[in-house]
Amino acid sequence: MQADPRGPSRRDVQVKIGGAAGFGIKAAGRTLARCFTQGGLHTFDLTEYPSLIRGGHNVYQVRVSPDEIHSHVLPVDVLVALNTETVERHHEEVVDGGAIIYDPKTTSVESVPDPKRLCIVAVPLDDIVVEAGGQRIMRNVAALGAVLGLTGYPLSFLTDSLVAQFAHKGPEIAKVNVEVATKGREFALKAACPFPVHLEPVPNALPQILVDGNEAVGLGALAAGIGMYCAYPMTPASTLLHYLAAHDHEYGVVVKHTEDEIAAMNTVIGASFAGARAMCATSGGGFSLMVEGLGLAGVSESAIVVGVFTRPGPATGLPTWTEQSDLRFVLHAAQGEFPRVVLAPGDRTDAFELTWKAFNLADQLQTPVILLGDTYLSDNRESVAPFDTAAVCVDRGKIVTDGDIATHPEALDDAGMYLRYKVTPDGLSTRALPGVTGALQVMNSYEHDEYGYGAQGEEVANRVAQNEKRLRKLDRACGLVPPPALFGADPSTAEISILCFGSTKGPVREAIGWLAREGVNVAVMQIVTIWPFPVHEVSEFMDRSKRTMVVEGNATGQLEGLIRQKCLRAPDWRINRYDGRPFSPEQIFETVREVVLGVHA
Amino acid sequence: MSTPDDFLTPNAPTWCPGCGNFGMWRALRTAYSELGLPFDKLAVVWGIGCHGNGADFTKCQGFHALHGRALPVATGLHLANPELTVVVEMGDGDAFGIGLGHFAHSCRRNLDLTSITHDNQVYGLTTGQASPTTEQGVHTPSTPTGVLERPVNTVGLAIAEGATFVARGFSDDVEHLTGLMKAAITHKGFAVLDVFQPCVTWNKLNTHAWFRERVYRLEDEGWDPTDRAKAMALTLENFSEMTCTPEECRIPIGVIYQEEGRPTYADGLTQVAGPLWKQALAPRDITRALAEQS
Ligand SMILES: Cc1ncc(C[n+]2csc(CCOP(=O)(O)OP(=O)(O)O)c2C)c(N)n1
Ligand code: SF4
Repeated sequence: MQADPRGPSRRDVQVKIGGAAGFGIKAAGRTLARCFTQGGLHTFDLTEYPSLIRGGHNVYQVRVSPDEIHSHVLPVDVLVALNTETVERHHEEVVDGGAIIYDPKTTSVESVPDPKRLCIVAVPLDDIVVEAGGQRIMRNVAALGAVLGLTGYPLSFLTDSLVAQFAHKGPEIAKVNVEVATKGREFALKAACPFPVHLEPVPNALPQILVDGNEAVGLGALAAGIGMYCAYPMTPASTLLHYLAAHDHEYGVVVKHTEDEIAAMNTVIGASFAGARAMCATSGGGFSLMVEGLGLAGVSESAIVVGVFTRPGPATGLPTWTEQSDLRFVLHAAQGEFPRVVLAPGDRTDAFELTWKAFNLADQLQTPVILLGDTYLSDNRESVAPFDTAAVCVDRGKIVTDGDIATHPEALDDAGMYLRYKVTPDGLSTRALPGVTGALQVMNSYEHDEYGYGAQGEEVANRVAQNEKRLRKLDRACGLVPPPALFGADPSTAEISILCFGSTKGPVREAIGWLAREGVNVAVMQIVTIWPFPVHEVSEFMDRSKRTMVVEGNATGQLEGLIRQKCLRAPDWRINRYDGRPFSPEQIFETVREVVLGVHA
Repeated sequence: MSTPDDFLTPNAPTWCPGCGNFGMWRALRTAYSELGLPFDKLAVVWGIGCHGNGADFTKCQGFHALHGRALPVATGLHLANPELTVVVEMGDGDAFGIGLGHFAHSCRRNLDLTSITHDNQVYGLTTGQASPTTEQGVHTPSTPTGVLERPVNTVGLAIAEGATFVARGFSDDVEHLTGLMKAAITHKGFAVLDVFQPCVTWNKLNTHAWFRERVYRLEDEGWDPTDRAKAMALTLENFSEMTCTPEECRIPIGVIYQEEGRPTYADGLTQVAGPLWKQALAPRDITRALAEQS
């Protein structure tokens, strides 16, 4: 056990529930988080599971705190071991004074060499369930009751939630669940552990929601008026397909699980031609198949949103783990040159906002917008303030949806013919939807002239004019895309400045809070829009910094390389991680301390 | 009432003189005009190949898509605006080679689209390599010792996968082909029309004359297109084997199979009505979905 940077006066508790796949661990973890957020506490979940449906080892962690938190942490305060393997694998993570909850009938704690440093709470989970006349899956409920007993948190949040959850199944089921939870709590109280942290509901707390990254993207897409979503299942993007499919009737969305990712991408392009707000999402493997279509969207000037949620590659890679190794891939994917926007949400609130903004940007620029995420963001829930739906706006750009094109003379040639790809100073042409009277057009994968015809596309002057017209849209994008986000100290007063993108934001924010307590001030720049790259902001930030460090989840320093290339500046330090696991705040905390103070962990 | 010439653009066709694409183009424009389709409500999606150059010559709401991917683009377009008439033109390489998966899945979805294949049994645009419908044994630049595999049974595949209108035409028989195109376009459901389209430059076997000697109109022989098993059996006859004589190998053209009344894919999408762009006029109220997350 390493020193816990949260310190002795910590107010947070991390609960880890472990067992075999199929034990209902995820549902249990999510219920626990809900109990806490209903009481006004903040939570951050972390789920880890192998690419197996049954039999593999699964864990679900819930970190809870009365203070705002931004990520998981490494130490475990309460380990709920639903099998012996969980004890063997994770007992070392439990902090001194922490607890292990287990059922002596099914689970052995023999592998714990120093049980005295821990509070080992035997709860006969199976017997409790049998006595109450419940089903075996309810032992999770007994375990949750024990967790609440141990941390001193009122059981009513759990029992209320169970009653609500099982209301549709009749009062009997709900009653049994409540009985099981109550028994679990009693066993924990009987153990009389001096558990170091006491969790209490926060009175008059502001309301919160619990969302994972994919739910946040789904909500952002719904708010933006998405009309069609197409995907082929691939972890970690699949749950977005499930989310939108579950809401398609309520919100009037066509959600299609297509035959492959090539079809998903091209179907979305067709839907965009007809004027629908359309999106597809996948992970790196599926995106590989979408790449030719991405170029089609670029040259045909199709407004589409593409989610690329990275898992470790190459090829099938580590399907259920996380990485940030597709940054260069999404920047360069597809042959030829065309404008694209790449946005990298760092947390769930970002994911919601950047998704609805992505739809606006796609329409304003008539080009593909990529949302670059990863498993750590997609899979894990966080408690956040309810999304700001009042801020959502719909900007469809230069579009003519119906009526007669004759009433839009700016889009016509001298003879009154519609120019789909009219060359303009900002590169943007008026997009008339098929069906608009008189607006004849050809969307084209070939280079084309202003009408869209390919026959004259190869003429030198035309090729140059169309290529430059499209690329000018990227200049236009610079004024529209979200700027980098800043956290922590001002770079001029900070000991060190961190540059990061995507979900690394959470662990970095967590770590700089701990560092500030140790007197180490850190400035953070989260690069939100990766492309067009915020050259000016990054350069200025680096120039104002004492030293700089790039923190990113890949081996080759993809963001670092981009900074060097675009800003002609070299970061002083780097932390790279590529073992499939997310950054922990501890890792960042320790490395920064080492760099700044010369302190070695 | 429009005329076939109303579907012309300022661009003159660039196909080789004598190419079967001319007959198909004529038949299609005639069908469009006789059906009274307004060109701004007619959407045509092309794949890549010689046939695809029709995108430059045909007045409509066009989309010249990627090689093999015309069907997915058309699917998105159709589902996003069911008020448009959507026709898909593909080469045999497009539909039955690189895009075969999309073709098979489009059939089983019974999308209300018209799939017209320019079947010249060769890759025209890329200079004459074997296509998925090239007959076994034929020598091409990519198969100098002869094609080893069997050709795709295009119409049989369509029937097997659930297309509800399956027909074959011949580009020289423009009048007959026009009728087939009109029937295919007006059919509610996935309509497959595979058209023999001689490539005078690269295919020296399946020529205009070769087809003329062999094709016969199914309707002249009282064919009943409603019997799926019989239709399937017809497609399994080896009616275009390179060695056989015109007497041995008669090639049927016309409607091989048609099933009316089967629900289309869009019929199942009860959650939407009308064009999807209307869903994005203003932000959606997601209050209820947000409430689920508490
Ligand atoms: C992904 C991809 N691979 C290869 C090509 C090159 N290519 C263009 S057309 C074509 C085949 C054309 O044959 P077919 O589809 O039968 O059309 P035809 O030219 O005979 O009308 C190929 C291979 C391409 N455009 N895209
Ligand atoms: S190469 Fe063949 S298919 Fe292409 S235009 Fe010439 S004749 Fe027609």
